[in-house]
Amino acid sequence: VLIITRRAGEKLMIGDEIVVEILEIVGNQVRVGIQAPQSVRVYREEIWRAVKDENHASATDAPAALPAGPGRPS
Amino acid sequence: MTTQQKLRSSRFGTIEVDESAVIEFPAGLIGLPGTHWALLSAGPESPFQWLHSLEQEDLALPVTSPWNFFPDYAVELSDADTERVGGEDPDAVEVLVTVRASSEPSEFSANLRAPIVIHEGRGYQVINEAADAPMRAPLGLERNADRAS
Repeated sequence: VLIITRRAGEKLMIGDEIVVEILEIVGNQVRVGIQAPQSVRVYREEIWRAVKDENHASATDAPAALPAGPGRPS
Repeated sequence: MTTQQKLRSSRFGTIEVDESAVIEFPAGLIGLPGTHWALLSAGPESPFQWLHSLEQEDLALPVTSPWNFFPDYAVELSDADTERVGGEDPDAVEVLVTVRASSEPSEFSANLRAPIVIHEGRGYQVINEAADAPMRAPLGLERNADRAS
């Protein structure tokens, strides 16, 4: 883990292409701006983790066969 | 003539899939390995399909069109995701949601928050910015017991 102190308006480079800018600090919240190539996906960590867990559950909880008939509630 | 591709599956054995059923996920599915998946039917009458990995034989997720179960469902993408998917035209994209299945149909749910958007053979799992898009929306399938009675 790398820990760096930055002020509002200052930036970080991750590699040559990803720019992380501290835009504003208000109370205990920080606004961050991120410039990254299109191929780099940026998520809020808690959302990324929840989707990852849900994908895993979908892949592992699935029964051998799915309901074959119409699924709409009657 | 359509090209076929071999898919090895721990569920279905080795099967041939039509090239048109193969979807490339340039960025993969969030937290899952591999970039090539195929859409397989779960039966002619079924609202579900399998999104099956072409690279890992025991990796498959049940998926469905969200509108099978949620007629009012809406997908709202960030500008970055719209650009990534490469299609502004809603008619040109197919939307699927992953399903969390269970032995009890009434416990089936769909992930409306992170749908899969497919455009010209390429798929992307994106974050839906729309307000009412839970990660575990119950499908409202009837219970096994209800069906039996």
